[in-house]
Amino acid sequence: MCHMEKADFSLKARHKKKIWFAAVCILLIFVVLVVQMSYIMVFCSEYYLARADDLHERERSIKASRGRILDANGVVLASNKTVCTISVIHSQIKDPERVIKILCEELGLTDEEVRKRVEKVTSIERIKTNVDRDVGDRIRNYALEGVKVDEDYKRYYPYGSLASKVIGFTGSDNQGIVGLEVKYDSWLSGDSGKILTLTDSRGVELEGMQENRKEPVAGMDVTLSIDYNIQMYAQQLANKALEEKQAKTVSIIVMNPQNGEIMAMVNAPEYDLNNPYELNFEPETVVTGQAYQDLLNGMWRNKCINDTYEPGSTFKMITATAALETGAVTLDSQYYCPGYKIVEDRRIRCARTTGHGAQDFTHTVMNSCNPAFIEWGLRVGVDNYFDYMGKLGILEKTGIDLPGEASTIMHKKENVGQVELATMSFGQSFQITPMQLLRAASAIINGGTLVTPHFAVKASDAEGNNVKIFEYETKENAIKKETSDTMKGILEKVVSEGGGKNAYIEGFSIGGKTATSQKLPRGNGKYISSFIGFAPVDNPQVIAMCIIDEPVGVYYGGTIAAPVVRQLFENILPYMGIEKSVQS
Amino acid sequence: MQKKRLKKVKYFDYSLLFVIIFLLGFGLVMIYSTSSYNAQIKFNDSEYFFKKQLFAEILGIVCMYAAYKIDYHIWVKYAAFLYVVAMVMIVLVLSPLGYSAYGARRWISIGPLSIQPAEFAKLALIFSCTAAVNKMNQNSRKFAAIFVHLFLGIVLAGMIFVITNNLSSAIIIFGIAVVISFVAYPKYNIYVIVAGLVGALVVAVRSWAQQAQLSDNANFRFERILAWVNPEKFADDTGFQTVQALYAIGSGGLFGKGLGKSLQKLGFIPEAQNDMIFSVICEELGLFGALCVLIVFGLMLWRFVYIATNAPDLTGCLLVVGVFAHIAIQVVLNVAVVTNLIPNTGISLPFISYGGTSVLFLMAEMGIVLNVSSHIRMEI
Repeated sequence: MCHMEKADFSLKARHKKKIWFAAVCILLIFVVLVVQMSYIMVFCSEYYLARADDLHERERSIKASRGRILDANGVVLASNKTVCTISVIHSQIKDPERVIKILCEELGLTDEEVRKRVEKVTSIERIKTNVDRDVGDRIRNYALEGVKVDEDYKRYYPYGSLASKVIGFTGSDNQGIVGLEVKYDSWLSGDSGKILTLTDSRGVELEGMQENRKEPVAGMDVTLSIDYNIQMYAQQLANKALEEKQAKTVSIIVMNPQNGEIMAMVNAPEYDLNNPYELNFEPETVVTGQAYQDLLNGMWRNKCINDTYEPGSTFKMITATAALETGAVTLDSQYYCPGYKIVEDRRIRCARTTGHGAQDFTHTVMNSCNPAFIEWGLRVGVDNYFDYMGKLGILEKTGIDLPGEASTIMHKKENVGQVELATMSFGQSFQITPMQLLRAASAIINGGTLVTPHFAVKASDAEGNNVKIFEYETKENAIKKETSDTMKGILEKVVSEGGGKNAYIEGFSIGGKTATSQKLPRGNGKYISSFIGFAPVDNPQVIAMCIIDEPVGVYYGGTIAAPVVRQLFENILPYMGIEKSVQS
Repeated sequence: MQKKRLKKVKYFDYSLLFVIIFLLGFGLVMIYSTSSYNAQIKFNDSEYFFKKQLFAEILGIVCMYAAYKIDYHIWVKYAAFLYVVAMVMIVLVLSPLGYSAYGARRWISIGPLSIQPAEFAKLALIFSCTAAVNKMNQNSRKFAAIFVHLFLGIVLAGMIFVITNNLSSAIIIFGIAVVISFVAYPKYNIYVIVAGLVGALVVAVRSWAQQAQLSDNANFRFERILAWVNPEKFADDTGFQTVQALYAIGSGGLFGKGLGKSLQKLGFIPEAQNDMIFSVICEELGLFGALCVLIVFGLMLWRFVYIATNAPDLTGCLLVVGVFAHIAIQVVLNVAVVTNLIPNTGISLPFISYGGTSVLFLMAEMGIVLNVSSHIRMEI
């Protein structure tokens, strides 16, 4: 039993009061703690939970299957095949030596490469992508712990090199790299899904936890205006011309002049889309590194739109149109060609040095007489000439749905004098892309509508429902319909009686214009031969252009390029259902 | 009408005993929940920490019973001696007997046992402060008496801070001394003024840190304080523990993920069974569970207040007040650290955090309180 303390040491009211005071203080502090806890656990809960989930979840993405690319008739031009991605999960590997050995053997990688990745402490490390399905299945059958075989899609092009420079190809992550594949990547690629698994701090997946799965959304199919048959046939013709003329390149564009739908675009030599990193020729010396990459970049170039050239006489179509539109000439205008024309201090020769003699307007076009066109161009004048180049889209990009379109290289208007205007009148001293010229030519023959050349027609989902019909800008009344009709008549004469007669096909009404342009510097003996043709003249359904770069031997456009278009038309006009209309 | 009379009846505070047993049991459950993952990895035995804690608690119950049986006046009688023992133990940390764990030299090992002198020092301080009041008699009402208490506190706290670099234990010890002197000294104003100054200082530091963390040339010495203001900016080093704890607390929500279902304990919160165990309680049991734990602690503190105010003499009262101060300060600081109300400093949650020495001496304190309670004379 306790003994009694002296009175002074006994518990007094003031002590009790102090204890209660302290207790109340602690209670108040507890309230503060509860408020802070509630704040974190109620108001910040969502934020912290999301951050924590980020920390705990390992994300494995599931690739969406990439949409296909189809031709106008539904022929598959680009599709997918199943391949495998092999990865390792460091924390799950039980027998690293066996894993390294088997992966080396099956994947054909060096021990060093595989070892580096297997021994790297990461949650998941990719060993190799785009592995054939057979190899993937074999690796899966080893049932190696810590080795994951994920199926995945790889781009596959059933026709190899067909329209390679138009379609383009994809990279290791199935992303578009060049061509339509990159232009329409957002439509084709779809949304990748993901599998989220919970892991502990060492990255070990937790068992019995729900897997969070977000399904991938497949990409859209994109339908092109390209017609497999026309493209195939054009490509054969281009390859044939390439070989016969030992040319550097041969390009053919086939387009519907009424709406700008491109039916074929060939740039021979094409390359194999399934092996885009292999050159389509044997380089003379061993090339590596940047130089090899430069060669590849050159190989992937689409010359119809990525490169410019001096159009030459085909450009006379624009000069003639401008001259007619502005009233500078009429069909009755006469010109006498002595074989040259003097502009200021220059003497500009005609292709026919002896001269064409007296000609009316139509014949100056049929003869492709340079002095006459200098006269017509000078009559139009600089302002009007630039005005009509603008109206016909020569001064701007065409807006085609391919990346990397080149810009016009043109004199500044204020610097254009008589000499410059003279040379421009017959298509020299400036550069445009073949596509720009074909677009201008289409406007001249279709009644005056400037179209946007294009490939993609629509995007549709896996069930075939159209999700998007692509629309393109058109500018009507770039020129008068009467001028267009007049030009069609003149151009028909060029083929039936003039320099383009090698493009003539009995029974069909075909119009066109040839060109033979010297490559710079002048006098180096290198030429570009070209021909633009269209049919039928009354209501043009197809316009085609053939450009032969640096042919060996005969280099006249009318001699070598026009026959290519003729052969093309001989086949595709009946295929397109265009009947013979002219009684022979 | 029967005349009211005083009768001596042996009193025993069963409510307190129940609270103690509840906290011990709950602590064991949470220690198993938080530590089994780490234990499995480190020791290949998921019950490693659980078993050690269980052993310490059984020992603690024996301690409590022994302390309950010993008249509390004896402690005060030998207070000076125990105070010196505490100092010697702290110094021994520097001797070959001392050893380090978790990157700090804070333990001494005697045979198979390892103990943390700081835990014993808390007990020794409670005894010596009480003894000082006894000794000073009437003088304890003078202003100078405050300094006697504070001196006792500062010596032990200073030794613990300097020798074992343990700021949190030093704060607790000093805090106990302040509370005992507050109850013993008759006036209020000096404490109110000091508390006001401390509050102002905290606000000043907080606003300074908020300014400083915006500027890029942050001083590394104050990184702990900067990490307090914006832990996620320092999530890779100083703020790591705090951020992980906040993730755990925040992802608990109202009712938690369920017992055993914490993800943050899986190696994200380092040593989750120690100082940060409250964050896992929040994650698994939610705001509801965390409130329950605080209510149980509140209940315990209320029992202390009851026993202290009804103690037969000032000695018993002050002993209980010391224990009250110890538990209250430690719970408040632990929860405040875990919820990032104050800068991070390692403070364990009494009865629940893993730690043998802590439980042993806490149980001894409970025994002393129960002994004081048994001297209460009931009116019937």
